[in-house]
Amino acid sequence: MSYENYLAGEPVIITAALTGGVQGKEATPHLPETPEEIGKAAAEAEEAGASVVHVHARKDNGERTFATERFQEIDDEIRRQADDVIIQHSTGGTGASDEDRHLPLRTDPAPEMASLDMGPMNRYDHLTSENTRGLVDSLHEEMVERGIKPELEIFNDGHMNETYGLLERRDLAEPVYGTLIFGPGTLTPPKPRNFINAIDNLPEGAQFNTLGFGRHQLPFVTMGILFGGHVRVGLEDNIYYERGELATSNAQLVERVARIADELGREVATPSQARDILNL
Amino acid sequence: MTCPFLEYRSEANNRQFDEPRAYCGAAEQFVQPMRADICNNRYDLAHDEHCEIYLEHADEVSAGNENGNETENTGQSAGDGA
Repeated sequence: MSYENYLAGEPVIITAALTGGVQGKEATPHLPETPEEIGKAAAEAEEAGASVVHVHARKDNGERTFATERFQEIDDEIRRQADDVIIQHSTGGTGASDEDRHLPLRTDPAPEMASLDMGPMNRYDHLTSENTRGLVDSLHEEMVERGIKPELEIFNDGHMNETYGLLERRDLAEPVYGTLIFGPGTLTPPKPRNFINAIDNLPEGAQFNTLGFGRHQLPFVTMGILFGGHVRVGLEDNIYYERGELATSNAQLVERVARIADELGREVATPSQARDILNL
Repeated sequence: MTCPFLEYRSEANNRQFDEPRAYCGAAEQFVQPMRADICNNRYDLAHDEHCEIYLEHADEVSAGNENGNETENTGQSAGDGA
């Protein structure tokens, strides 16, 4: 994908990362945690222009859970409250066992998409989410069995190598869909030249999604739109609307990026169009 | 054995929650849900290995207190699997 794809005016898929697995209501009261709250947030995000919702599961006190049953409750609420939005489960889980990491894939029906972290990521000062190649392969295998489209989460340039390694080890359904992630720590440094470099390094024919953490969310999704990619926004990645002003909802962040896409001449994809683009 | 600094509170620092949430007595603030799993030694996580806040304050913990703080908690499970 490239600037030519932007000029062609192809639709842009907006993913709303509603909750995440790190922060909770201690960070912002607007972050949805319960199934009911997540379902409502998904419906509002879809109304604002999101065609995909990226979902993590939480217990009633906001703490993480990987239980299939909790993902099922959340999916049921999303389907009850939203119209046609594509559900994408996270398979991330710092510190969780490999078995736990598979549990979000086992709802009925399976999610249409699920994330697949392409390698290690440091957390805090003494912790690393390992994401071994063995785990990547086993998660991909179960996704194939259950008809789930993997969203390859590429935290840095080394993970681009890991993406090519996965393509050598496994047959991935086309198009390969990778999220380029920019921010602090283990992530790719958020500089425009690194963004250009990353999209140049993508496998041929791949579709890319653009994710910037914190204050990098807005400029990087704008670059994603301009270079023919897709975009992810939401309270998982950024809790602020402007400097010092909390975003009041996921939908507020989706509305802004949908408005920018429209101003820049790219149609915002409906869930149906997103399914066609991603070959779901 | 959970972190001796872990408490579950519904209210602190002018914040109120319907459900009691993990609060770090060393940092004197509510903690992120991911960090709460470290406090509770859930999954493959351990507060005395993975938490920089505990490691910085470890010398404040008496041997007796390090045996667990279940009496300070409010019924939250420390052994939550998925």
